[in-house]
Amino acid sequence: MNETDASPTPPRRAKLELLVRHDADEGFDVRQIGSATAFVQSRPQRVPDESWELAEMPSRVAGQPSFFLKNTTTDRFLLLTEPEKFLWQRMDGQTSLQEIATAYVLRYGAFDFDIIPALMRKLQRAQLLTLTPTSRLRQALARNRRRPVVKAIESGLTALERINISSRNVQRAFTAAYRWGGFLLFTPAGVIACLLLAAAGLVAGVKLWHEGSDIVAGFGGHALRGLITVKLLFFLTVAAHQIVHGLALIHYRRRVREFGFTFLHGFVPTFYVDVTDIFMTSRRARVVTAVSGAGVHLVLGSAWFLVALAAPLGSFTQAFAAASGIIQWQAFAIALYPFCFIEMDGYHVLVDVLGMPTLKQEAMSWAGSLVRRGANWRMGRQEALFALYVVVSTLSVAAFVAFNVMLIVHARS
Amino acid sequence: MSSAAETLAFLREVRLFKDIAAPELATLAESLRERPLRRGQVLFREGEVGEEMFVVQRGSIVISKPVTGRVEQVLARIGPGDFFGEMSLFDCSPRSATIQADSDATLLALDREALRRLTEQSPRAAAAFFHALVQVFVERLRASGDLVAEVTRWGLEATGLDLDSR
Repeated sequence: MNETDASPTPPRRAKLELLVRHDADEGFDVRQIGSATAFVQSRPQRVPDESWELAEMPSRVAGQPSFFLKNTTTDRFLLLTEPEKFLWQRMDGQTSLQEIATAYVLRYGAFDFDIIPALMRKLQRAQLLTLTPTSRLRQALARNRRRPVVKAIESGLTALERINISSRNVQRAFTAAYRWGGFLLFTPAGVIACLLLAAAGLVAGVKLWHEGSDIVAGFGGHALRGLITVKLLFFLTVAAHQIVHGLALIHYRRRVREFGFTFLHGFVPTFYVDVTDIFMTSRRARVVTAVSGAGVHLVLGSAWFLVALAAPLGSFTQAFAAASGIIQWQAFAIALYPFCFIEMDGYHVLVDVLGMPTLKQEAMSWAGSLVRRGANWRMGRQEALFALYVVVSTLSVAAFVAFNVMLIVHARS
Repeated sequence: MSSAAETLAFLREVRLFKDIAAPELATLAESLRERPLRRGQVLFREGEVGEEMFVVQRGSIVISKPVTGRVEQVLARIGPGDFFGEMSLFDCSPRSATIQADSDATLLALDREALRRLTEQSPRAAAAFFHALVQVFVERLRASGDLVAEVTRWGLEATGLDLDSR
């Protein structure tokens, strides 16, 4: 074993000597307090009651509900399990961690005390106990920043992450947009109109598919350049997607906290809208909010298909419109399709319906343990769901990649 | 109370005085004042004025600094041969920590006037004394750096603050 392979010996727990004077006489006691002891005797204090809000999310699978915990000051949200909620309720600044742990054992009969520091870290990151959050990617980079390449990447991401064009004063603008026509999207007439447009777009799309080679010829030998232009144009429609999410919030009388543009994780350019306030309402409202944003791509895709159908055969307009239609519909499918390892609108609807807000993480963790420890074919309902999620998602991603490769090859040929 | 011979024998073993020749040490020993302390008794508190340093002849002493209420942080626990309070000999500033006996103890006090006499009458002995003092200062400076690191680590562990994963 070389030097770098050797795992470092964990440092001993720190100790302090404290002198505590007697009340009655001149005497004193000297106590050696280990940091671990101090930790279990500490009394975690959650933020004041007016700074947080808790909402229940019933489960249909696991049997136990989950809870949305919201920091009303910072608008950060956390998903808590029932035991975590139990612990959270005891973090009142009066009860020591030791007492909290005892209460936890008595209530759940479990000695899985790791849940407590893990929850505390989670709460600290959500500023419900203190501190600020950071992404897993950034944590991984921070752990390896001694390597020059990693350090350079981290610096680059930090610079990009600082690019954030946003406003937290958008409620009035979204309310006005809703009042001046946005509300139509959430009326039965609006929904029917969208569905009719989608049906017409579908018909147009099928017709165009049969004339695919002639349409692609409209790019005039610049198919790749044309597709890139289409992608850039599509990127702008992501803003419309987010705006409709915001309008849905207004429809359900909730607050749009923020709208803006940023580089997600430092490298994914994206528009975003803070819809977290919708978690405080009904499941129906959450589903409508999620689906409505994706609906933008369905409508725009259909419109592009109709334009392509009306355009002269083999023209650039037709090729461009058809490609835009395909990419919009792809976006619609990806946004609503829950099985692709990406937590998009459809995934949020699925976990909301299942009452399993951490489905992906749990499924991945389960799959990982399956790989490490070998297959265990005794599966409960929950494990079966995990397996279904992982398998279907893997197949879906493979199919999506294959489809796009086929499209590009088709376009180039 | 110890006899002069016992005191002299003790001082020969004290690091601070070990390089001082016997005649000068005997003279110095005469100027030291014995100070008994009961267990728990406070010799002086942080902020009080003083112009003596003390050598522990017997017993155990706790040096502490107030933290909050009745709680103080123990900076050091010292025993026979160790010394404290030397800072007040030089800068006339208030005491920087509180001193109390952890057990019945006997101290030997060296005041500013006695040190001045030593310096004037026996510069060689004074030089040996100051040299030993500086060596101990350096050790204590390093130890206080370690203590700061330990206290910081203690604080991080005690609050469950996880900086590794940030």
